[in-house]
Amino acid sequence: MLFRVARSHKGKEITHYDLYKVDARKGMTVLDALFQIQDYMDESLAFRYSCRGAVCGSCAMLADKVPILACRTQVSSLKEVSSKLKPFTALTDTPLGWNAETEILLEPLPNLPILKDLVIDMTRFYDALESLKLWAEPAKGEESRIQSPAERKKIERYVDCIMCALCFGSCPVNAEKEEYLGPAALTKAWRFYEDSRVQDPKTYLESANVPAGSPLCDLIYNCVKVCPKGVAPGGAIRKMKEL
Amino acid sequence: MILEVLKTNHSHDVLVVGAGLSGLRVAIELTDQYDVAVLTKVHPLRSHSVAAQGGINASLNPEDSWESHAFDTVKGSDYLADQDVVEVMTKEASRAVIENEQWGTAFSRTEDGRIAQRPFGGAAYPRTCYAADKTGHNLLHTTFEQALRKGVNFYQEWFVTSLVKSEKRVCGVTAFEIASGEIHGFTAKAVVLATGGFGRVYGHSTNALINTGDGAAMALRAGVPLKDMEFVQFHPTTLVPSSILITEGARGEGGYLVNKEYKRFMDAYASKDMELAPRDIVARAIQTEINEGRGFDDYYVHLDLRHLGKTKILERLPGIREISMFFADVDPIEEPIPVRPGQHYSMGGIHCDKDGVTPLSGLFAVGETACMSVHGANRLGGNSLLETLVFGRLVGQKVGEYVSGSGDVDECTVDDAAFAMREKIQSILLRESGESHAEIKEELGRIMDNEVGVFRDQATLESALKAIRFLRERYENIALPRCDTKFNYSLIRALELENLLCLAEVITMTALMRRESRGAHWRLDYGTRDDENFLKHSLVTLVDDYLKTEYIDVDLGQFEVMERKY
Repeated sequence: MLFRVARSHKGKEITHYDLYKVDARKGMTVLDALFQIQDYMDESLAFRYSCRGAVCGSCAMLADKVPILACRTQVSSLKEVSSKLKPFTALTDTPLGWNAETEILLEPLPNLPILKDLVIDMTRFYDALESLKLWAEPAKGEESRIQSPAERKKIERYVDCIMCALCFGSCPVNAEKEEYLGPAALTKAWRFYEDSRVQDPKTYLESANVPAGSPLCDLIYNCVKVCPKGVAPGGAIRKMKEL
Repeated sequence: MILEVLKTNHSHDVLVVGAGLSGLRVAIELTDQYDVAVLTKVHPLRSHSVAAQGGINASLNPEDSWESHAFDTVKGSDYLADQDVVEVMTKEASRAVIENEQWGTAFSRTEDGRIAQRPFGGAAYPRTCYAADKTGHNLLHTTFEQALRKGVNFYQEWFVTSLVKSEKRVCGVTAFEIASGEIHGFTAKAVVLATGGFGRVYGHSTNALINTGDGAAMALRAGVPLKDMEFVQFHPTTLVPSSILITEGARGEGGYLVNKEYKRFMDAYASKDMELAPRDIVARAIQTEINEGRGFDDYYVHLDLRHLGKTKILERLPGIREISMFFADVDPIEEPIPVRPGQHYSMGGIHCDKDGVTPLSGLFAVGETACMSVHGANRLGGNSLLETLVFGRLVGQKVGEYVSGSGDVDECTVDDAAFAMREKIQSILLRESGESHAEIKEELGRIMDNEVGVFRDQATLESALKAIRFLRERYENIALPRCDTKFNYSLIRALELENLLCLAEVITMTALMRRESRGAHWRLDYGTRDDENFLKHSLVTLVDDYLKTEYIDVDLGQFEVMERKY
């Protein structure tokens, strides 16, 4: 199996693509293939990883122009995937020489600056957690609070978010507007707003409704399509906008 | 807050190495009063705590008690846990769980809205609190939120390369900034190692790829003893082929283990507790079925959840379903899950007491990298998340006391150590040809899986030790051609391998020394527990160039040492 991998030695932009031939075995994931390349062909290739089980959110990237987690995507499944995403430049511009039939194309997740090869600078993505104060004020007292299963159910899909940034990297608004806080942060604000235990839920809504927040969302729902955990950020933002 | 870095030497009161649950909880405890910085090789949310599935134990129910939890833990440990430490953990358990709930963790709930609890292996009462099968994920995200709220300082994507000490005490660390490849020196009055386990010593492990025992290896090199390293937990149910964890919660909810004759086999091994016997017992049962020819394709068995029904699987085990579908192409609603035992947890670690205090003044350890010892020879499910939160807080308090009473440390020693580390790394990068670290790592994994696994004996352990020492020699000649210093993950993996190799040697040595079977350490040639000679902790210390081994007493107390039956 041939892999065409984006390279950026100094960061900022993709300077060229390198082509590697990997022995594909049954069940091989994109992350397995990247390790094969790094271990046995090209030690200089840089990419992030940790859990290899789709829970840590380290390895978001583009494979054949589709935003994926490298660790849970089987190499054999890639050519069957059609993402049905609303396009923007990073998802449509293809490198010269790429043969889409025979080669798997790996590129860094768009919408955040490239640091090296497939490693991106996630500072802006993480900063929103602090600027929006996406945490709970601790409850007081000796006991845990009561929350019914139905109340918990309301926030379940939102607490499942692993902060992998696939939503951020697939959002056409993030591609255009650097200031946009992005789907994950807004959804986390909604998670606190909807939590029956939170004392002052409105504050989360107010911070999500700042000009760089929910007003910028165009309800395109690329985020819903790429989310590996079924969080459906676009649904949360829609509810937020409807209030 | 992420610290901006403009110079190559830094100073803080306290350095915490590792940003999983243990490290974050220590930092949260200290950050209001002291200048604390957390050094972590991955963003905190990528830490391995995130992968814990099944839950966290606490005797929340009035019908349950900390004494019952303590007894189960001590019995589960095959009586090797220090009972004073177990007492602290089980008494503090409810507090730790309630604190995290008050911080916002979305625990699963009972019909009347209380924190739900499920049965877990080796426990007399259903005391494992959970958030579906994503408990670690929920606790880590919540605890990280609180660290942000508190303004904890982070150096993110920094790889700590050594502990620096003067004659009497620790005085800092050297660390490698992954983005630039530069080595920096960090001066501190206290250093807390919270670097997690070292599962990646093995080939088949549930652990994240980053779990390479960096803290334990650094401590060993700094002359701090490692304790009970032979006790490696093999989780009974890891997914074939990727070894991703399939939670004990799947059996807690009622899942069956089935061999290729389509027979539930646990009655032959633990007739009372069946699938919910402790992990060491179930892992040996599965391995025996496989070794005796009753495994599928001779290397795995089935975990069957189908009788639980779609609703229960979707509600209680959604993560397991997702993992099975994506990583094994199996939907547990319709088909059994293929599983086999694999390395899961390191009971051993840095020798310390219940406050995390190590023999090196100013050095503390907490969480999986530490050995207090609260798990003894076998950890019960639901006790590791608990250990991180309970002892994260308590060790934090102790560090605070230490720092308040301690004077400044010598900066020159740290500068010298950083200089020496730069030279060491340069020499690896300048070598034009040599051994491949990836090949050595693969070979190490194979040796540990096959020869230092669920069943052990003298001859195979001796052959493993010889092979590991040979790999250490080969490691001296590794080369990383074509690399520069920015985001050089090959170099990081090579440095991690150095840590893995030295820990593998210690694990194998102590496994050879312990001529008995206890908990997770099972010797085919010494098939019974020998309290007379081995109701003791093993200690290994690096003295000059050789590893000194000794045994120290276990803290016994409340519970009488008895035969362990389930």
